[in-house]
Amino acid sequence: MKCKSLVILLFVCGFFALAAAEEGSGPPDSTHVDSIPPPTPVSMLTARDSENDHGHSVTLMWELSTDDGAGQNSVLSYEIFRWVPFFMDTLQSIRDSLAGAEGTIAEQLRKRRDQAIAMIPGAHKSYPEQGGWRKIGTALSGQSSYEDVGVKDRGSPDYMADHTDYYYLVDAVTADPAIRAPSEIVGPVQSFGQFFNTGRIPVFVAVLVFGLLTILFVTRARRGAELYVRPLAGIEAVDDAIGRATEMGKPILYVLGLGSAADIGTIASFTILGRVAKRVAEYQTKLIVPCYDPIVMTVAQETVKAAFLDAGRPDDYYEDIVYFVTQSQFAYVAAVNGTMLRELPATNMYMGVFFAESLILAETGALAGSIQIAGTDQVAQLPFFIVACDYTLIGEELYAASAYLGREPILLGSLKAQDYAKAAVIILAALGLLAASLNWTAFINLFSVTS
Amino acid sequence: MRRQIPLALVFIFGVFMIFQYFVPHESSEWIYEFLLDWIYIIGIFALALGIWSLIRVSVAKIKTRKSGWGYPVITMAGLFLMILFGFTGYRDGSWGFHFMTAEGLSNPMFRNFFDYIMIPIQSTMFALLAFFIASAAYRAFRARNVLASLLLVAALVVMLRFNPYLGPFGTIIADTASWLLNVPNLAAKRAIIIGIGLGMVGTALKIILGIERGYMGKG
Amino acid sequence: MRRTTIIAMAVVLGLFILSWILRSASYVTVQEHYLIGGLKVTFSAFLTLAILSFLYKDNPFYKFAEHLFVGVSAAFWMSMGFWTTIVGNLVPRISQSLSEFFQVPYQPGSYNFVYFIPVILGIMLLMRLSRNRGWLARWPLAFIVGTTAGLNFVRYLRSDFMEQVSATFVPLFVDWKGVGYFISHFSLSASGQFVAIVANWVIFLGVICGIIYFFFSKEHKGVFGAASRVGIWVLMITFGASFGYTVMGRISLLVGRITFLFRDWLGWIS
Repeated sequence: MKCKSLVILLFVCGFFALAAAEEGSGPPDSTHVDSIPPPTPVSMLTARDSENDHGHSVTLMWELSTDDGAGQNSVLSYEIFRWVPFFMDTLQSIRDSLAGAEGTIAEQLRKRRDQAIAMIPGAHKSYPEQGGWRKIGTALSGQSSYEDVGVKDRGSPDYMADHTDYYYLVDAVTADPAIRAPSEIVGPVQSFGQFFNTGRIPVFVAVLVFGLLTILFVTRARRGAELYVRPLAGIEAVDDAIGRATEMGKPILYVLGLGSAADIGTIASFTILGRVAKRVAEYQTKLIVPCYDPIVMTVAQETVKAAFLDAGRPDDYYEDIVYFVTQSQFAYVAAVNGTMLRELPATNMYMGVFFAESLILAETGALAGSIQIAGTDQVAQLPFFIVACDYTLIGEELYAASAYLGREPILLGSLKAQDYAKAAVIILAALGLLAASLNWTAFINLFSVTS
Repeated sequence: MRRQIPLALVFIFGVFMIFQYFVPHESSEWIYEFLLDWIYIIGIFALALGIWSLIRVSVAKIKTRKSGWGYPVITMAGLFLMILFGFTGYRDGSWGFHFMTAEGLSNPMFRNFFDYIMIPIQSTMFALLAFFIASAAYRAFRARNVLASLLLVAALVVMLRFNPYLGPFGTIIADTASWLLNVPNLAAKRAIIIGIGLGMVGTALKIILGIERGYMGKG
Repeated sequence: MRRTTIIAMAVVLGLFILSWILRSASYVTVQEHYLIGGLKVTFSAFLTLAILSFLYKDNPFYKFAEHLFVGVSAAFWMSMGFWTTIVGNLVPRISQSLSEFFQVPYQPGSYNFVYFIPVILGIMLLMRLSRNRGWLARWPLAFIVGTTAGLNFVRYLRSDFMEQVSATFVPLFVDWKGVGYFISHFSLSASGQFVAIVANWVIFLGVICGIIYFFFSKEHKGVFGAASRVGIWVLMITFGASFGYTVMGRISLLVGRITFLFRDWLGWIS
């Protein structure tokens, strides 16, 4: 009897032990500690129109989830959702049909598309019933802002209408995309373009200051104040170079550069060309002006013609002094090189905007034995002109050359204005050095242009 | 009158472009974009003027049988052939006034002229720079004065920076070259750019205000 | 032209014709139109060598290549300009029938009429050819110059002035943690504090002296003159460094052309 009880007791204990072991290795259920619990959502979600732009953009900002990037509830990213009315699918299908259409069908589809676009603000007012949430972007953990930027082109699927109610929410997402926490919905928010870019206020102030300074100095200069300007070797050499060409009976080659008529360097070059052409006319030396840009050719022709008139030699002017070559960089250079080697000018002047061909021109001129005076505002080409030419006007000196050659009070007055501006730069740089050393961020931020 | 209206146009458009920079609104941006388009379109009309000048000069040389008159014939031949190829093409089974199609160039001769005339000559002209940079260096690096010596030394240091045959000096030269390119180079470029910026800004303002009129010629 | 020149030219041309035949023969098994393929490579090589011959002296081959290039390139840009700008940009906006003729998609819009204005300005520019109406060409010129001046004014004011000036706001002592720290962490490496401090000072002084060099209305005498001299020295170092920097790039361009001649034309290298 005792044995039987013992066996039964052993059997029952064994049964319970087995049952307990099976429970420990059973499949995990939803309340098991290995699954990720939902993280905390973002908080303080705000949406506002993006600043200082042409519209079509909304900026979202939020406080990071407390589970951001750490711990068991690690939030690895944020997904941004915008409420989109079902109507937008209809509009997209019209756009898709328009893409492959032609003729009258395309015209009709275009009209339908434009009508549909006009209905976008109204469609967004049907929130929340007739639409759904669409993911529009992702932000990584640690990011607490997102800019929903659309385009202004109404034909594009990324078009984002202004003055339309938009609604947003942000999901905090863990390693398992199914485990996430949505934020509260924010909206309605509307995008629209601004009429003044506040990020560019420092530039605006600079525009006003420069404008006033220029007007002030020009007014003072008109009163005829005598101005000293330091000698510039390149400018002083112009007269000698023209004289040399006259003595040798050889022509002067003047290259206006490869810029357009609107480039400041080319405009400075026109003024210098006018002065050179006047002296050339007086000395009756031959002038050759090959042009790269046809509008530059037009202006140069007028400039040279007027210079010959001023010098009292209008009959010496002929149309082919200034001629168009081609609007291809190296074809132009090949032609000018050929001219240099055939005409063998005594003086070459390169004034304006130049690119990689600067060294080819200058070296060929040196091989032909010409005196060379160059001036350019292209910083990358200055080393080549400095090395290969006899005289070089560096950057700003090209712009100053017209004032030097003409000695007109107004132009000299504006040179003085530029010098005052440079003095201001030196003072600002010194103040900036102090500010950076002492952490005066307010001063540094005065010059920071944010957009 | 003949000068007043252009000056007024310069002022109006100049001030508008300054104003546009501070107004990000779509309407201002839209006007800015089509003004830039206008500049490109007018540029093409200007190109017609240029081609006319090229033809006139070449034909004058050919007519007067000036020395070397055969070469302008080559210029004219190249010009007219390329115009023919550029404005005709084969599309939908026939030759005609075509060029750009959805598939690209419709005249293979246009492409051939570009690939086998323009590209070889252009690349070779660019390659001439290798010879010219050597001849310029040979002529200029004679250290006539302090400035030329500074230029010479700086150029030599930077040129030798990747030379593997300099032994222990190689590292020193490479470090010096790197310092030269990052420090004094930056300083001088900044000074030049500030000067250019001021000059450019001053000249642009003078153009807008009508003080600088050199671009209009005279009369 | 002298007899020797004509004979030399004939010999050179004969050599190139021979080269064409040989090159075409090498393409027989490789290309269907081997004669055309051989002609293309040979003509390209001829033009390449014609341009390179300029280094010796001006000669008829260089003149031929130069004049051909001028004519072909002028027409090339005219073609491209017409088809990309006029047909691609202007025609779709001003005329539906022209858009259909050129087979480009018509772009209707309420304000498309403004695109007639550049056409009118372009025609006014062509008036330059007229004796009496030449002054009309100033209007489109004024438009282009004014628009670009306004554009350049603000953009260069920002990029070439304000941003350059604010980039000069560098601290005197980088990461300064006291004299003791500086001495114990003294390093001549580029990332070291000492080198960074010296670099900042050199940049600051270099910029100031460079700007002083460009002063026009003040005589460069005394301290001002000394600073101006330091400025031009810094400028010369920069120009030398830039010159040295571009040498390798320029030589690599020549390597490209030599490779074409020896590989594609002569087949001497694979």
